Amino acid sequence: MPTQDRINIALSQLVENTVPVYAEDDEEAVEERLDEAYAHAYELIENAGDPAVTADVHHAADLIRAKLLRDNATPDKIVRFSQLYSRLLAEPVLQQKWAVLYLLYLLADTEPPRSQPSLAPSSQAGAEQTPKQQREFVVDSPAFNEAFSNAGLLRLPTGEEARGQKTDRPVSRHREKKDKQKEKEGQANGEASSSVASPIPQNWVTYEEAQPHETSLLRDLPFVLQGLSSTNLQFKDSSTLQLPPTLPVPIVGLLHTLAEPCLLYKTLAEFVESEGDGLVGQSFRSALGLELRSYLKLVATLEGHIRRALAMLDDSQPRKGLGQAGVTLKRCVYWTREATMGLRLMSLIVEGSKGKKGGQLISVIHSYSLNHGDPFVVSFAERLLTHVTRPFYDMLRQWIYDGELSDPYLEFFVAEQHDLVDDDRKGGATSVWEDKYKLLKAAVPSILTDQFANKVFLIGKSLNFIRHGCNEGGWVESYSKSASKELRYGDTATLETSIDEAYKATMAQLISLMETKFDLSSHLTALKKYLLLGAGDFIAVLMESLSTTLDRPAATQYRHTLTAQLEHAVRNSNAQFDAPDVLRRLDSRMLELSHGEIGWDVFTLEYKISPPVDVIVTPYGSKQYLKVFNFLWRVKRVEFALGSVWRRSMTGARGVLGAVDDAFGADWKTARCVIAEMVHFVAQLQYYILFEVIESSWTDLQRAMRKEGSTLDDLIGAHAQYLSSITRKGLLGGESADFPGQLHELLKVMLAYKDVVDQLYSTSVAEFTRRQDRSAKIETRTAAGKWGVSENDEESELAGKARKDNAAGPLGAGMSEADIVSTQRVRLRELSEKFKRKVTILLGDLMAQPDPDMKWLAMVMNFNDVYQPQRRKKRTAGAGGNSTVMSERTNVRANREVRDKEKAEATDPARGRQR
Amino acid sequence: MPREIITIQAGQCGNSIGSQFWQQLCQEHGISQDGNLEDFATEGGDRKDVFFYQSDDTRYIPRAILLDLEPRVLNAIQTGPYKNIYNPENFFIHKSGTGAGNNWAAGYAMAESVQEDVMDMIDREADGSDSLEGFMLLHSIAGGTGSGMGSFLLERLNDRFPKKIIQTYSVFPDTQDSGDVVVHPYNSLLSMRRLTENADSVVVLDNGALSRIAADRLHVQEPSFQQTNQLVSTVMSASTTTLRYPGYMHNDLVGIVASLIPTPRCHFLMTSYTPFTGDNVEQAKTVRKTTVLDVMRRLLQPKNRMVSTNPSRTSCYISILNIIQGEADPTDVHKSLLRIRERQLATFIPWGPASIQVALTRKSPYMPSSHRVSGLMLANHTGIATLFRKIVTLYDRMRKRGAYLQEYKKEAPFADGLGEFDEARQVVMDCVQEYEDAEREDYLTRDVKGGAERAEEDERVR
Repeated sequence: MPTQDRINIALSQLVENTVPVYAEDDEEAVEERLDEAYAHAYELIENAGDPAVTADVHHAADLIRAKLLRDNATPDKIVRFSQLYSRLLAEPVLQQKWAVLYLLYLLADTEPPRSQPSLAPSSQAGAEQTPKQQREFVVDSPAFNEAFSNAGLLRLPTGEEARGQKTDRPVSRHREKKDKQKEKEGQANGEASSSVASPIPQNWVTYEEAQPHETSLLRDLPFVLQGLSSTNLQFKDSSTLQLPPTLPVPIVGLLHTLAEPCLLYKTLAEFVESEGDGLVGQSFRSALGLELRSYLKLVATLEGHIRRALAMLDDSQPRKGLGQAGVTLKRCVYWTREATMGLRLMSLIVEGSKGKKGGQLISVIHSYSLNHGDPFVVSFAERLLTHVTRPFYDMLRQWIYDGELSDPYLEFFVAEQHDLVDDDRKGGATSVWEDKYKLLKAAVPSILTDQFANKVFLIGKSLNFIRHGCNEGGWVESYSKSASKELRYGDTATLETSIDEAYKATMAQLISLMETKFDLSSHLTALKKYLLLGAGDFIAVLMESLSTTLDRPAATQYRHTLTAQLEHAVRNSNAQFDAPDVLRRLDSRMLELSHGEIGWDVFTLEYKISPPVDVIVTPYGSKQYLKVFNFLWRVKRVEFALGSVWRRSMTGARGVLGAVDDAFGADWKTARCVIAEMVHFVAQLQYYILFEVIESSWTDLQRAMRKEGSTLDDLIGAHAQYLSSITRKGLLGGESADFPGQLHELLKVMLAYKDVVDQLYSTSVAEFTRRQDRSAKIETRTAAGKWGVSENDEESELAGKARKDNAAGPLGAGMSEADIVSTQRVRLRELSEKFKRKVTILLGDLMAQPDPDMKWLAMVMNFNDVYQPQRRKKRTAGAGGNSTVMSERTNVRANREVRDKEKAEATDPARGRQR
Repeated sequence: MPREIITIQAGQCGNSIGSQFWQQLCQEHGISQDGNLEDFATEGGDRKDVFFYQSDDTRYIPRAILLDLEPRVLNAIQTGPYKNIYNPENFFIHKSGTGAGNNWAAGYAMAESVQEDVMDMIDREADGSDSLEGFMLLHSIAGGTGSGMGSFLLERLNDRFPKKIIQTYSVFPDTQDSGDVVVHPYNSLLSMRRLTENADSVVVLDNGALSRIAADRLHVQEPSFQQTNQLVSTVMSASTTTLRYPGYMHNDLVGIVASLIPTPRCHFLMTSYTPFTGDNVEQAKTVRKTTVLDVMRRLLQPKNRMVSTNPSRTSCYISILNIIQGEADPTDVHKSLLRIRERQLATFIPWGPASIQVALTRKSPYMPSSHRVSGLMLANHTGIATLFRKIVTLYDRMRKRGAYLQEYKKEAPFADGLGEFDEARQVVMDCVQEYEDAEREDYLTRDVKGGAERAEEDERVR
């Protein structure tokens, strides 16, 4: 075995050259040390495995070429290398051409071996760095300090000592390996690279005696990687992997690295096994399971490698075989690197997803695919998302095509509400549309924008509403059949278009259903007609026929009479031409009774709204309608009362009242003028509310309803807006000034005035009949040939006159009647003054309103500046109707000035000059 | 209870206005010439039963009573295109057929002689209504029948229906140009007394103004009665739109006039209408833009008034009601009122609140109109007193001369002398006085004087 001899010779020469010979040592000792060193070196070479590269000369050449290519900009060197290489190949003498090249290659590579970890450390620098790095692991170990002290290094530990300490001894496996390799290489090449070899013999004892041996560790590794405890490596619990205490530090380091995937896998496997909460959670787990399976595949391959390597192992020469088989712990570390990253990422995601479900979970994963620069992470997250979002998209599809929420684990961003909040605006009732479903902003996965999510929410809600609220399940089904599409993650464009389509289709369908099947606009028109007094003829007939009934106390009102009158009014007005469905909903009833009220106060009309239109005309809205109706009805009643008293006083003027003009002419004149004032007030008030407020709000509502592409929510909003503007501008809101209260008072004053005028009328009629009686008496007496007026008559008349003088009344009435008349006069004057006072206050308050419409109302009510509007607070006493002409003049003048000023402000300068 | 209104047409003028009016109503409501609904008249929302009732065969019959003392006009109606819509029982032509000869007294006396027949017709119509709102009398006060018979009817209606509203559309004579009726001051004055005492609301239209408007607006030199009558019927139909197309307000006669007439005597209303064009009168073909502001401004212009008055500086509006038809946006009304107030286009009484009230109503869907908006103003204006004064002056002038009095003396009302003339003059002067008082700030506190005292005062003033 000449090769062997050559190696022996070379080795002994090497040993002789390198082992120092101290002067004081005797020859024997030197000999012994040399032998020892020789034996050790020899053993090293024997044990050294082949480097984990194929011993192919071409491969080595390629490596060198690649390196040259990498290091040099110009191809000169490569060309030169190629020439040299071909000459080398042609050289018949050299047998180990590969080894030569490889050695050269390794020597050339001065970089730390980061990029090629499997090629093992080859440089001095790398070798020397390693202990420093590894120091961290065991830095507080006393053995470490000792071993790395100068003395410790210089002295070879005894066998016992080494045995006792070897696990703790920080023997650098790298260095060891390097040495080994060097030696092997030296052996292979027949060259001793003295510069590389460490001058001091290392603690080589460790290797054979390391317990457990690397092979057994390798054998264990596949199990540990699968999260199973093995003989040497045991999981203490889910997060701890116990290493045998006897390992050398480098192995410990490697195992530390290898422990990561093991532990990660173990936790992930546990997570995957765990009960998933929710469909998305389950699919998340299954996606993780898939990933883990590919990891396991890797582990299986690894195991195959290890087995093969171990099988090749010669038990007697474990070190060497291991090296030759090409499977080492270090290599395993390298092989598992990518998988570890995957596992790490997964565990991060799992960590992040803790406590999250559904959309939030998707958002967590999506955030990795969205905000990560590492393409590996991004593609990994995308891959996960494709799986994870599947149940989500299923839910989405069901929601936007069927309007059904199949979400047993409450993961979707739409949730069904079960315990409904009874808030005031809803008026205690719940609305299917508003309250059945709720959009959970937090649960919207980041793969959908908020706007999109809102659309989705609306689509599903509408479909659901069409199905359940409108009983149009058939349409939904056919729609879902025709429109349904597979939705998947990743195809955003398709998703968007299909959602947009679904949105348009459902909204259009819902709106058209509302319009056609449920006659929304006819209901709204009916509400306007009947509750907002749009049908004036109907209201007039109703009021006239009810007026006698309603004058009686509330307790005596019977629903059936009201209903009968209602029917009567319908029959006798244009209401009879309305759709029967509309009329069926119209009902009259009494509000809850309270003490001392008369029928007028408790009567109300009602328009019954049935689902699903009540989604738009909500119960709260109906209440608002009633509120407006009651107000308008009261105003209308006053108008009616004033109209009837006007009619009485006017037609009366042609007869009865004309006849007693001398007695009550002045009273009637004042009364009529006050009534005219009231009529004016009521007419302006009504015009304002009906045309300025209701009609213009109605126009807005109509416009909003006709708008293209409006949704049900738009309709609901428009209607709510309609009602609120009516109540606010219709003086029912009363934020700053108590308009409802003021108007109520005013209306009351007017009714009271009307009552007194009625009394005055009766008094006048009584006077008239007495005069007629008297003249009839005179006539009969004259006819009978007597005096027309007897003494008795005169006496009584004189007495009456005397009393009348006391009562300061005008002509004719008897004592009691004079009293009545004067009280009536006082009352009339009081009431008219009260009315004027209240009107001025109301006008003042209206003027102070920011709303131009309300200012306008004040303007038309005081078109010719007869009132001096004043705020309630700075009200001055005694501003009655009997102020002097002078003061009135000055007031008028003052008003004119104010008006001029207003005018100057209001008109643009070009036109404002006119006056 | 449709608040029916019975229309009484008296005399030549009243009946020709009436026949125009009914024609207009039929067209607006889609009623064909035989009284049946036209096929296209399917849009509901109008109320035909205020002015029509339905016969057993569901034809629409006007609640109209047509009276005359001579047959010419009524015969024309009975042979005209709309002859079939009327109830034939509601025609009354005096048997003599001689007419009243432009003599109020003759008309009055002849009406009295046939009062039973006439009142029967009225009673029958009144009984046929569920809730009669009132009467509308169409007549002129210059001639004999309209004024005399009209006056008689007003008195009777007043007695018979003391609580019903009586409204008249009274055509006053042209005070500038006496025309063919020389004695119109007598007739007018005598009628005026009844209009003042026995009617609740008088819409004053005067032939002078009507001719002027017809001439100005329609570019016709000598407008025919036919044309001026069409103006009147337009005004009538416009002023009744709120009754016929019910809306929020002004759905009954009281609702309309209550806001216009504060005191019983001041119940003479003047009207303006704009725009008059081809739709209403064939010859008018002006092109103009109609906006609410434009319409409301025009309505306030004196030249559009259908009454010739010479308002003094103190004349003012007691009240105004603008009935705006068509596509009027409330916000336009809003702006227009602001503008009118800024510009002080209208002056109002100083003693009480008054303003331009606005009623927005629909237009008939069956009558195509080239205007977006049209408007009618009903106004109670103190300036109308000048017209009355003018009549009184003309009367005084004739009375001083004692002209044509024999004709009157021959008739029953003047059997006891000419006291009737003086009384009538007194009543009219009281009314004038009332209007003039209404221009003063102290109107409310001014003493109300009885007729006699007022007469004395008047004499003193003179």
